[in-house]
Amino acid sequence: MTVSASATTACPVTSALVDAETNADAEVRTGVEIRTDAEIRTGVEIRTGAEIRTDANALLELEDASCGYGGEDVVRKVSFRTHGHENICLLGPNGCGKTTLLRAISGLLPLTGGRVLIDGTDIRHMRQKDISRNIAMMSQLATVHFSYTVEETVMLGRYVRMKAGLFESPGKEDRRKVRECLEAVEMADLAGRPIDSLSGGQLQRVFLARTLAQEPRLILLDEPTNHLDLRHQIELVDHLIRWSETEGRCIIGVLHDIGLASRLADRLLLMRNGMLAADGRTRDILDGNCLNEVYGLDVRAYMRNMLKQWEPQGGNFHESR
Amino acid sequence: MKWPKRSIRTSTESGNIRTGTESGNIRTRELEIGMAGSGKGPAILLSVFCALIILIVGIGVGSVFVPPREILFIMANRILGFRLPAGVEEITVSLVWNLRFPRVMMAFIVGAGLGVSGTVMQSVLRNPLASSYTLGVSSGAALGAGIVMVTGFSVPFLGRLTLPAVGLVAGVLTVFIAVSFASRMDRAMSSNTIILAGMVFSLFINAILTLVAAMSRDQMQRIIFWQMGSFSLKDWKHVATLAPITIMGILWLIRYVRELDMIVFGEEQAQSMGVDLKKVKWMLLGLSAALTGSAVAFSGVIGFIDLIAPHVTRKVFGASHRFVVPLSALFGGAFMVLADLVSRTILTPIELPVGAVTALIGAPFFAWVYFGRSRKGVS
Repeated sequence: MTVSASATTACPVTSALVDAETNADAEVRTGVEIRTDAEIRTGVEIRTGAEIRTDANALLELEDASCGYGGEDVVRKVSFRTHGHENICLLGPNGCGKTTLLRAISGLLPLTGGRVLIDGTDIRHMRQKDISRNIAMMSQLATVHFSYTVEETVMLGRYVRMKAGLFESPGKEDRRKVRECLEAVEMADLAGRPIDSLSGGQLQRVFLARTLAQEPRLILLDEPTNHLDLRHQIELVDHLIRWSETEGRCIIGVLHDIGLASRLADRLLLMRNGMLAADGRTRDILDGNCLNEVYGLDVRAYMRNMLKQWEPQGGNFHESR
Repeated sequence: MKWPKRSIRTSTESGNIRTGTESGNIRTRELEIGMAGSGKGPAILLSVFCALIILIVGIGVGSVFVPPREILFIMANRILGFRLPAGVEEITVSLVWNLRFPRVMMAFIVGAGLGVSGTVMQSVLRNPLASSYTLGVSSGAALGAGIVMVTGFSVPFLGRLTLPAVGLVAGVLTVFIAVSFASRMDRAMSSNTIILAGMVFSLFINAILTLVAAMSRDQMQRIIFWQMGSFSLKDWKHVATLAPITIMGILWLIRYVRELDMIVFGEEQAQSMGVDLKKVKWMLLGLSAALTGSAVAFSGVIGFIDLIAPHVTRKVFGASHRFVVPLSALFGGAFMVLADLVSRTILTPIELPVGAVTALIGAPFFAWVYFGRSRKGVS
C-alpha cells in the first residue's frame, strides 16, 4: 500500500493534505455521489469515479440488497462495495435502515432481494461460522448480570477460530490471541475480574476485545458508543481505528455522532428511507450540503453554533489538552 | 488530532520476546489467571465430596440404620467382588443393594437430569424462570401417563416400561408442539413467545388431565399421587433404563457449553459470533425436554429442582457453563437424594410426596444461598 493510501485512512484532515500533494491520485478518488430527491425515489444509480476503482473481489459487496421485517422492506436496493482497507460510517435519520442494513450484511436478517457478497461469495451459500470468520459485529452496550470473567468473555470470540471437535477446548494460540486482544484494549490487568463488576466503558472495551479475538476482516458497529461518556466514546473509536490501521482491515459503523463518525470514517454513506442518498469521502460529504438534506437540518450551522460557545472566552479548543 | 502512541503490534512483539522484567510480569499475570480458572478446584472437590456423603447417608438412613462402613463393604462386595467380612447380615445386604441403593441412584439421576435441563432451558430462553416445566413437559408427560393409567393399555415389548415411555414421548412432544406453535407466531422464535406458548399449552394440557382424572374416579388417587412424585419401589431395572438416557443427554449437552455461554449474551451476538442459532436452539430445547420428560416419566412431577439447581450453581461457581452444566447435575442429584431421604424419614411410616419436600427444604435453602451470599458480596 502506498504512503498516501495509508495516510488517507488515518484521519480525514491529514488525508486531505496528502491528497493535495498527490493530485493525480486525488482526482480519481474524489467525486461524491450525491443523488437528488427525484433520483432517490426512482432509485436511479449514478456511478461516478469512486466506483470505477474496483478490485476484482471486494471484501464486501452489496448488489441491490433489500430486506425488512414482516413483508415490508426497510432497506431498499442498496449497492456499494468496500475498497481495500477503509472505514465506512453509515449516517442518516432514525428509522432509515442503517441497523437493518448491518443485520443483513452480517447474515442475521435474510435478504428479500439482491445479494450480499463476501469475497465474491453470496452469504446465502455460506454457513454462519464462515460468515463470522469474516465479519464480526459489535453492538451497543447492554447490561450484564452474570459473572463471567473478562478472559472467559473474550475467549467466546475465539469460537469460530477453534477447530471443530467433540470436546474442543481453547488451545495455546487461542490464549495468546485473547491476551493480545486484552492488551490492545488495555484490559489485560483485569483479565480475571467478573464482568458484572466493570464500568460501562470497561465492559464495552471487553466486548471490543471479544470482537477482535474473532479475527474478523470486517467489523460492523451498531452504535457501540451509546451509553458511554464522551471520553470513553473517543477511546473506543480510537481503539477501533488503531485496529483497522495495524491489521489493515475494514470497519462499517453506525454512529449517531457526526464528530465520532468523521473521526472514524474515511468514507460516509448517507441513508434516507432505506436507500443510499450519498456515498463519498468523509471530507467531501461534510463539505457538501447532502447532510443537511438527509437530516432536514442545517447540520453545519448547528456545529458552528456549538463551537461558538467556546470562542468568546478566547480559549482554543485544540490547545486545551 | 492525537493518536495513541502504542500500537497493537509493538505490544505483541514484546509479548513474544519476553525480555527481562516484562516476562516476569506476564508470567505472574498468567499465574493469576490460571488460579482464577482453577480457583474453583477446591470448591468442586468439596461439592463432589458432599454429594458422596449425601449418597451414603441416603443409603444408610431409613427404617433400619446401616452404618457407612457396612455400606462400603457391601458396595465393594457387589461391585468389585471383594469378600464380605463376617458380621454383615444377608438381610442388610439385600436391603442396601436391592432397595436403598437403586432408590438413591434413581433419585440422583432424576435430580441430575432435572438440574441440567433447568440450566439449559434458562440459558437458551434467557429467562430465569424458564424450565421444561413452564414449557409443558411435565403436563404432557403427566397426561400421557394419566391416559395409560386410565385405559390400562400397554405397548408390546415395553411391558411395565409403558408408563415411563409414554410419559417421555408425550412430554417431548408437548415441547415440540409448543415450540413449533411459537415459531409459527413469531418466525424469529423469540424466547418470550416460546415461554408464552409453552405456558398456554401447559395449562391447556393440565385441564385435559383434570378432565381425564375426573372421568375415572377410581384412578384419580393414583394419577394425583403419581403427579406428586415418588421414588418408592424403584429397582435396578429402572436405573438401567433411565441412567443411559440421562448420562447421554447430559454429555451431549456438555458439548454445547460454549454455545450456551454465547446465547446468554444475546441471540444476535451469539449468531454474529458464528453460532448456527436456530439449529442449536432446537437441539438444546429438544435435549433438555427429553431429559425432563424421561425423569418425569419415571418419578412423577417433581418441581423446584430445575429452578434452583442452576441458580445455586451459578451463584457458587460463576456463570460459565463449563462449570454450571456438570455441577448443576451434581447439585440436582444430591439435592434430590436429600429430599427423598427427608420424604421417607420425617413422618415414618408415612411417606411424603418428594415434590412437596423439594419445595419445602428448597425454598429456604434457595433464599439463604441467594440473599445471604449476595448481601455478603455487597458489604
